[in-house]
Amino acid sequence: MLSEPISEFIVLFQMMCVVVVFAYLVTRTRFYNEILDGIFSWKNQLLLVLVFGIVSIYGSMSGVEIMGAPLNIRDIGPMVAGFVGGPLVGMGAGLIGAGYRMSMGGFSMVACSIATVLSGLLAGLIFLANRRQIPGVVLGVAAAIIIEGIHMGLVILISRPLSEAVTLVSDVAFPMIAANAAGIFIFGCITVDLQNKKKTAGERDRYQGELQRKNAELYIAREIQESFLPASLPSLPGYTLAAESRPAREVGGDFYDVLASPGGRVGLVIADVSDKGVPAALFMALSTTVMRASAAWHQRPRDAICDANALITRESSSGMFVTLFFCILDPGAGTITYVNAGHNPPLLVRNDGTIVSLSMTGIALGVDTEQTYEERSVDLGPGDMLVLYTDGVTEAEDASHQQFGDERLASLVRRERLRPAGEILAAIQAGVSAHTKAMPQYDDMTLVVLKVGS
Amino acid sequence: MNTILQVAEQRRGDIPILSLEGRMDSTTSPDAEVQLNRLIEGGDRCIVVDFSGLDYISSAGLRVLLAGQKKLKQSGGAMLLAALRPEIQKVFDIAGFNRLFPIYPTLDEALGARPAR
Repeated sequence: MLSEPISEFIVLFQMMCVVVVFAYLVTRTRFYNEILDGIFSWKNQLLLVLVFGIVSIYGSMSGVEIMGAPLNIRDIGPMVAGFVGGPLVGMGAGLIGAGYRMSMGGFSMVACSIATVLSGLLAGLIFLANRRQIPGVVLGVAAAIIIEGIHMGLVILISRPLSEAVTLVSDVAFPMIAANAAGIFIFGCITVDLQNKKKTAGERDRYQGELQRKNAELYIAREIQESFLPASLPSLPGYTLAAESRPAREVGGDFYDVLASPGGRVGLVIADVSDKGVPAALFMALSTTVMRASAAWHQRPRDAICDANALITRESSSGMFVTLFFCILDPGAGTITYVNAGHNPPLLVRNDGTIVSLSMTGIALGVDTEQTYEERSVDLGPGDMLVLYTDGVTEAEDASHQQFGDERLASLVRRERLRPAGEILAAIQAGVSAHTKAMPQYDDMTLVVLKVGS
Repeated sequence: MNTILQVAEQRRGDIPILSLEGRMDSTTSPDAEVQLNRLIEGGDRCIVVDFSGLDYISSAGLRVLLAGQKKLKQSGGAMLLAALRPEIQKVFDIAGFNRLFPIYPTLDEALGARPAR
């Protein structure tokens, strides 16, 4: 047999467990949540009165003797009802609890019954004083302590014989106050937890809505950006040409262009704006337009790039820059004249498999308005091929941060050089995919392939 | 704090040294930019950046350095780079940025070369 204090403590603990379970269940009902949201329909108020009236009756029925003194949690029901629904609801629940208490009899019956109704009323007044908001845990517990103190005072004030009343209160005051305060604490914590959950769910819904809206805008931006790229490639007799650009995100900072020049000459541009995403895309829009205008205005690549650089640098405040390769192909003469402004050196793959890197002839655009650029020329023979690419191709990584690399690109294009431009481009893309396997595309990738002959 | 990029700050004398460790790309560059801007706005005109711990830099990283360099130049200052690994040096060479910044093989050489006041 367990000693008395321990078995009494167990009974008290069991009562508290019932309160916890009940609190958890009631905070998941619709009527309780509507009351918390301020929807005080008559039906909700009536349900509040009935439910917490029953809680009050349970409080009386489950009363136990702790250390020889009767202890009960009858007042919890009306107090919660009052804190949540106001004085009318609190008193309603209190009256139900009081009615049951009166039927139990005993010398403190009148005092206790009045106290139960009063507890609902006082809790309700606190609700009103708190601007019709449910009080927080601290306020609720403090109020419960005071209300139970008043209950004890009423017993001494009303119940007779006085000596019995004083003995009763001195025995039971502390545990009564503690037990009822504990019950209010439980209800308070569970309700606050519920309110936090609802607030978080509301915020999450708002964020999701905003995210959808932003994604929709980005999708439109992507379509606009795709319209900046050439819709179709011109056919060049004696040459095959293929090009493709894939942004890493919805919008990107790479671009390529094919420009018709007077005298049947063709301009090819490939460029990469620093970084990626929306800032790069905006800078890309500026740069394509400037480049097109400059290329149309100037005969020599060097002059076109100088001009484009001056305009672009003026607009670049946050360190944005563009690496760019621009060449003019003279199909009749079979030569290309080029400027490489800080861009990955394109590969000129000769028919016999030797590879020439068309290296840098000036710094990236957007850095220095006074920058000068050199231009160079190379001849193209039958079967020769020019591969333009951005660093999204060579820096594509697999799961262990191994880059695709310049060597792999060079040996791949050498191996595939006998095929037409479109197949070579596809082979490069396949090679990169095979290297990165399932890794998501990290950077914008652009390829332009020009092949002499078919 | 980012585990992909660590940016450490120390001082030798009155010269601030920013040490970069890890990868500087579009997600991690903003952290470095914040630190760099703080130094520039705090009045430092000569900043040394130690690259010995940096494995990788993307164009986003270059942009941050370029932006810092432009700001420093406005007040007559400069950014000195030290101890670039070969793969990082290559990125600078291709873009032509090796001409924009004074680059030194070691940290001590960079500190020794700061402009006299």
